[in-house]
Amino acid sequence: MTALLLGALGLTLSLAVPGVLAGARWPDRAPVAAVLLWQALTLTSVLCALGVVLAAPEEMTRAAGADHPWTVVALVLSLAVAATIVIRLLISLIKVSARARARRERHRMLADLLDRAERHRELGGGEVRVLDGALPLAYCVPGREPRVVLSDAVLRILDREQVDAVLEHERAHLRHKHELVMESFTAFYQAVPRPLRSRAPLDAVHLLLEMVSDDAARRRAGPAPLRAALARLSDAVPLAEEAPADPAGESRRRRLDRLAGPAPNSTGLSVLAGVAAVGLLVLPTVILVVPWLDQALDAWPFRSL
Amino acid sequence: MALGDLEREVMTQLWDASEPLTVRQVHELLGRERDLAYTTVMTVLDRLAKKKLVVQQRADRAYRYAPAQSRAEMTAALMFDALSATPDQDAALAYFLGQLPPGAIRAALDATPKET
Ligand SMILES: [Zn+2]
Repeated sequence: MTALLLGALGLTLSLAVPGVLAGARWPDRAPVAAVLLWQALTLTSVLCALGVVLAAPEEMTRAAGADHPWTVVALVLSLAVAATIVIRLLISLIKVSARARARRERHRMLADLLDRAERHRELGGGEVRVLDGALPLAYCVPGREPRVVLSDAVLRILDREQVDAVLEHERAHLRHKHELVMESFTAFYQAVPRPLRSRAPLDAVHLLLEMVSDDAARRRAGPAPLRAALARLSDAVPLAEEAPADPAGESRRRRLDRLAGPAPNSTGLSVLAGVAAVGLLVLPTVILVVPWLDQALDAWPFRSL
Repeated sequence: MALGDLEREVMTQLWDASEPLTVRQVHELLGRERDLAYTTVMTVLDRLAKKKLVVQQRADRAYRYAPAQSRAEMTAALMFDALSATPDQDAALAYFLGQLPPGAIRAALDATPKET
């Protein structure tokens, strides 16, 4: 029974819920809590998978009798499967972070070499680098020596206030270590067998992290410069005709909408999503523990009194 | 002066030069502005060659150094690396702009005027 429950929960969490959560719009008003919810969702589905694998043989054993020879086989097999799941996840995490670190390291080195140092003296911040080029581009390179990279075109298209807003946005990514969040979701994505993979969590979390950084930049630089910068930068990239079904267009519109009015974040929604995240995390444990507790209580000597 | 700054200045000299330069030439070009040891310049060029950013040519009993790629080429390649990083591959970078389709990136980079 426990295994069945855990299995049903795991399947619901990994197949049905991500689609619903990815389609929802309320996370735009509680991005930090929504990221937590995505993390809880992912972790809980892993816990459910482990729970099924570990609980199933125990239940079969009880049905078949403890001294049945298949019991040992089932137990060993289930431990092997559980270990495979955990090891696969760990290996994926190590691979993803090692690859990302190497790529960032090389990227940072090249950005330092190509930097037009004379063009950003007045911008301040030792981590800023400016590249030549007519393509407006701003991004950050996380790491021990993080960098914020702007293209020359950004400095031409945006005024000083808007550039500052962009820098604040990128610094928020670096300060909050968003790359670690993305790495963990990427590792999970790659550890899942190909037919079962879904990009929904990756893309949703990516957009939510952009919103978190937008909020941080808005607090420091004000919403108007950031919104103008976002609109101008994306207008300046000639991709409209290249990409008919542009998924980035939709997320850009959502970010712009959030910056249009008063601060969109709702404390109530954040608390609710946070509680849901914690609830999800303890659910598999509860399912595992409750029947055991039930039996333990049944065996309690004073129960019969 | 930090090693990174020195590497950048050496690369800039090589990029701005019309032909491959010897260590002495680089040293002279840099030395106009500051006091630098010849061996330091040699070490920096050696490091850059090891990173495959600079190619070493032997001519007239002296080594000459040239950038492996022009500044514009290397910049375009770097931007391409930044733009083509997708979260499902390696969570490499975080960006202000959303993902661009590869075709659009190429088109945008090709539209970037190359300096000569
Ligand atoms: Zn961003």
